[in-house]
Amino acid sequence: MRFDIDSYREIADSLVRNRSRSLLTGFGVFWGIFMLLFLIGGGQGLKQLVTKNFEGFATNTTIMFSSTTTKPWQGFRKGRRWNLTYTDIDRMKQMVPELETVTPVISQWGQSAVNGTNSVNANVKCVEADYARIEEPRIRYGRYLNESDIIQERKVCVIGRRVYEGIFPEGGDPCGTFIRVGSVYYQVIGVDYNSGNISINGRADEAVSIPLSVGQKLYHRGNNIDLLCVTGHSGVVMSSLDNRMRQILARQHSFDPSDKQAVFMLNTEQMFSLMDNLFNGLNFLVWLVGLGTILAGIIGVSNIMMVTVRERTTEIGIRRAIGATPRDILSQIILESIALTLVAGSFGIVFAVQMLRLTQTIVNNIPNMSAEFQISFWTAVAAAALLTVLGVVAGLAPASRAMAIKPVDAMRDE
Amino acid sequence: MLIELKDVNKTYNNGQPLHVLKGINLSIDKGEFVSIMGASGSGKSTLLNILGILDNYDTGEYYIDGRLIKGLTEKQAAEYRNRLIGFIFQSFNLIGFKTAVENVELPLFYQGVSRHKRHELAMQYLDRLGLADWAGHYPNEMSGGQKQRVAIARALITGPKILLADEPTGALDSKTSEEVMQLLSRLNREEGVTIIVVTHESGVANCTDKIVHIKDGIIGRIEDNREHNASAFGTATIMK
Repeated sequence: MRFDIDSYREIADSLVRNRSRSLLTGFGVFWGIFMLLFLIGGGQGLKQLVTKNFEGFATNTTIMFSSTTTKPWQGFRKGRRWNLTYTDIDRMKQMVPELETVTPVISQWGQSAVNGTNSVNANVKCVEADYARIEEPRIRYGRYLNESDIIQERKVCVIGRRVYEGIFPEGGDPCGTFIRVGSVYYQVIGVDYNSGNISINGRADEAVSIPLSVGQKLYHRGNNIDLLCVTGHSGVVMSSLDNRMRQILARQHSFDPSDKQAVFMLNTEQMFSLMDNLFNGLNFLVWLVGLGTILAGIIGVSNIMMVTVRERTTEIGIRRAIGATPRDILSQIILESIALTLVAGSFGIVFAVQMLRLTQTIVNNIPNMSAEFQISFWTAVAAAALLTVLGVVAGLAPASRAMAIKPVDAMRDE
Repeated sequence: MLIELKDVNKTYNNGQPLHVLKGINLSIDKGEFVSIMGASGSGKSTLLNILGILDNYDTGEYYIDGRLIKGLTEKQAAEYRNRLIGFIFQSFNLIGFKTAVENVELPLFYQGVSRHKRHELAMQYLDRLGLADWAGHYPNEMSGGQKQRVAIARALITGPKILLADEPTGALDSKTSEEVMQLLSRLNREEGVTIIVVTHESGVANCTDKIVHIKDGIIGRIEDNREHNASAFGTATIMK
């Protein structure tokens, strides 16, 4: 192969000579690489947006709550209501050693939190200190509830973001302030900025969390609890514990251990794996569509190079007659093909990066949304490398046809 | 002998085998100005292709300057064509999107000569053929005679041992034809270039020093024409 400025000028010349044809062919490649990169970036951003919803939420959690029985058992008719009780907590802790945390929740819906003249709707969540292991609070001010709050039945609360913004419009550290929820005053001890969108009895940012011991008395719940949240030690597959936990509850509360609907078990692990599958599927589609589009573009390039070679039979014949080796011809055609793909593809990369930047700006301007849509530098480099390879591939068939041209063909064509 | 052909045979096998060259024996010495004449279908183009290493032959031997030209790889053939032979075609075969000087440079490009040097050399050759002012023009801006002169410059630039001209006047009017033939004979006379012209025009053949008549794949008569009176249509003219 011989390289000098003229080789490159010649390639540029021959691409420019058929300007509209080069443009149209290049557009296929341009669009292909744009689609691939834009979809990759978009998929990545979307995944981040969705996983943000699960942020601060333990991935190996099971949440249980009681429902009506659907099977008769030991003389009880079906359709009976039962309740989880506070003693179930110790029972679970003792009988299922795989569990790390077992913690109850009582909820009181549709309350309003009031501070001075500001008032906002809120849900009261009565929890214990280790509830923080289920739904990890992101404390902006103050602290979360602790054991002493529970034991001493302190009238204190941790408020969610939206509650905080609603009743403290001027901002600042609200800790120490007394707010009224329902008919009782609580001292604010913390602000939780967790904005995950998983709601266990209401969204975290609309919640006012108070000690369980206070809620039990205040709302006359006695020994009953609404939810039982458990997490396993790391490595424990939570769904494998479902049956055992149901049996423990069944024995205590006298329902059929095989009655799956008597106790509702929500397994986050299943939700996460569902999510994972969804995104794997999405990824597969992204690659399928992206690579498919590029491939279509490359076939276009290959086709047009084929036409070029045909048109230039005489020229190639002349070159061969005056001393071009088959390799000279091969490199000329392949370089042309690479040049076309690479130039068009580079525009595609740049356009994709710009579009992703725009998308990111738009999305991140929406409140509560932030995600990284931009592809990494190395992805772009890989895309450029891919283009080069595809350029070679596209040039192979036309180049081999060009190599087959005999110098005699130049003279025959008159 | 610069060129020696010994019992060269060539058969085309496209469906019906066609025996085109039936044992060609021919010797051409350095500095000769030879024409190969024959009607169409006589095998003269095939002979030219073999002489120009554009095509293979089946049996026999072909020597250029003592070198046997047989069973070459494409790469070797390209190299020999580049260094030993200059081609002049009937339809000029200039590359349309390249200027005159770029066309002349091209054989040197494939030799790997540096950009600067080949440009200089190409300008020299164009100047010698009186085309220095046309160096930057494209073929379609030039007349037939000018184009053929560019082609001759391109053929000469590598300093080949043989100049092969295939109907060099076929696409030219009689006046330009005469000019081109005069140019060729001047090159032969003054610079000692060996020239082989393939033609079916007796007027063109008459300009050369030796006329090889080929008929049905066999060399018939070899005419000594140093007197340039072979033409049936009078001397020193090219009849169209």
